[in-house]
Order: sequence, then structure tokens, then C-alpha cells
Amino acid sequence: MAESSVVLGMADLMVMPAPVKLITLGLGSCIGLVVYDTFAKVAGMAHIMLPDSRGLKTAEKVGKFADTAVPALIEEMLRKGAVRARIKAKIAGGAQMFSLPGASAEFLTVGAKNVSETRKRLLNMGIAILASDTGGNKGRTIEFSTSNWMLKVKTLGKGVSEI
Amino acid sequence: MSDMASFNERQLDAIREVGNIGTGNAATALSGLLSRMIHMDVPQTELVSIYELGEHYGDPMQIVGAVFVRSTGGFNCSLIFIQPEEDAKLMVELLLKQQFGTFIPFSEVPQDITDSALTEVGNIVLSSFLSSINMLLSSQYQISVPGVAHDMLSSILDVVASIYGQMGETALLVNTVLKVEGLDEGRRISGHIILIPDPDALDILLRKLKVI
Repeated sequence: MAESSVVLGMADLMVMPAPVKLITLGLGSCIGLVVYDTFAKVAGMAHIMLPDSRGLKTAEKVGKFADTAVPALIEEMLRKGAVRARIKAKIAGGAQMFSLPGASAEFLTVGAKNVSETRKRLLNMGIAILASDTGGNKGRTIEFSTSNWMLKVKTLGKGVSEI
Repeated sequence: MSDMASFNERQLDAIREVGNIGTGNAATALSGLLSRMIHMDVPQTELVSIYELGEHYGDPMQIVGAVFVRSTGGFNCSLIFIQPEEDAKLMVELLLKQQFGTFIPFSEVPQDITDSALTEVGNIVLSSFLSSINMLLSSQYQISVPGVAHDMLSSILDVVASIYGQMGETALLVNTVLKVEGLDEGRRISGHIILIPDPDALDILLRKLKVI
């Protein structure tokens, strides 16, 4: 069966059976979170924008915030046949695109908060993070393939790495 | 004002006029710096879905050069000057040639220097923008040290999503395109100035403009 490619946009969240390639383009401070179960052969991805929904009750996309995206993604994995103890995670993103010495604005460091909140939520749910490429000041484009369960990370000026 | 859709035409027009005054001043500054005529589009006040920011200003994967400043005081906002990477390079080349003549081959100028020049152009453009709008609003303001980045358009615009994302799904932006005229055939220098008001500063702005 040919591997289909799916590109996720901002705040999207998706779980697919293998074979599949999950792609997110141009992550800045956002997080690309990948979860997978190699035995059940399913993989999911979320494009997380912000750390905390702060109890927001509007009908927004669950993938937008780390605190809502992580549980929703795991739940969707379980629904598609994954077993919680077997689910592994990889994360990329969370860069700080601009640094303004002396300026204090919460949004400038949102990347680091996205990383720590995503890690915390995964830890709370007992999901192991096998690899990560986070922080720095460069954007990332990521591709996760179920052919080898590896996450390919492309960074401008640094080339491609597989984690 | 948390519901962006609730702005009326008159209010959006008033915000656009702020952009118009800011851009006029920014264009004058850029024109003086480069000794070239600058073509300026009519600014647009745009309500953009934060999920579609990347596509809204072009190819999300396009490499751009961007200078970013933050301003606080009477009217809190952020400003970004975004150019396609090629255009940013040409602009810096034009500036350096003007300052130092052509005896230094541009390709040998280290990136620290070209980056510093780009940051300074962005800083002058954005500071001129801010000074005129704050004069209009008769408000005191401080401006941050500028930050510079070269990266994918969609990564750069994550910063807008993180400003507007916490309280909603729509960003209010004032967008203008500046074009440098009188360049050699086939050369092009253009850039977007995007004004990103803090969501909670919009009420203040509209009140000062007496449209609320």
C-alpha cells in the first residue's frame, strides 16, 4: 500500500493508520507533537500553538493548546486501536523567532512554554518522549513516516536531521 | 474587545487611517535612507484567521527577512517589517553601496554586517511609523531594541498567532506594501509593514480616535 501524505495546519490534530506520512510546515514557536504505536501501527500528530487554554470554553480546535491537545490526541490514538503503555512520543518546535533584549512580553517566550507544557502533559499521562528537537531561534518543517517511525526535521541553514 | 467580528466599518476605517499615517512616515524615512522614490499601497485593515496567517501573506514556506519591534505606552503594539529574502539582500546591498561605494564586493560582506544593516533599516522604518501614530494619538511610548530573523514565512508569523491566539481565533492587522522605485531592470525591493495591535489595546485606540 502506498504511503499517503497528510499536511497538518495550525491547531490541527489527526490520527491515521500506517502507512502514512504526517507533515507540518514552518513551525516557529508552535509544537509538532507526534505519537505512535508501532504494534497497532497507528500514528498521530498535533500542531500545538499555545501552552494553556486557561479554561476557555469556546468551540475552538482542541489541537490549539497543549493542555487540550495532548489528552485529545491520546484519546484518538486509543480509539484507533493503540494501547496506552505502547504509545511513544516525539516533539519538535518551540523556537523563539525574535529576541528583543530588554523587552518583556509574554508572547515572545511562548515557544519555551509550549515545550514545557507539552512535556508535562505527556509525562502526566505516562507517555514516554523518545526524541525531541526543540527551542533555538529557527523555524522547523517536520515529517513523520510510519515506514521507519522516524521524525525528519528540516531547519534553515542546518539541514535535515532524523530523530 | 475580544470579539474581532464586532468592529464596524467606521472603526476599521479609523484603524486603517492610523496605518496610513504611520506608513506615510515610514515610506518617507525609507526614501531618505535609500535616496529612492517609494511606492506605497493603501494600507488594509485585515481580520485574519490565526489558522491561516501563513497563507495569507504568501507562500508559507517562502524564506523571508523580518525585523520586529515591540512598543509599549499609550498604545501597546508590535510591528513587523517582512521582505522576501532576495529583496532584503538587494536593499542592504543598495544601502551599503550608497554608504561605502562599490569598491567592497557585496558578496564578501559578512552576514553580521548585512544583518546589522537590515535591522537598522527595519528599525528606522518601524520607528518612523510608531512616532507618527503616537503623535496622532498624543501618547507617550517606548520602543524595544529590534529583533531580526531569516526564516520561513509561516514560522515568522507564529508570533502573530501567539499574540492573538490566547483570546480568540482572529487577528486584527494593518498591512501595507512598500516598493522601492528606480531600480535596475529586473530588480525589485518590496516589503510589508504589519502593525499588530495588542488585542486589549484596540479599545484604547478606538476611544482615542473617537469612534467608540
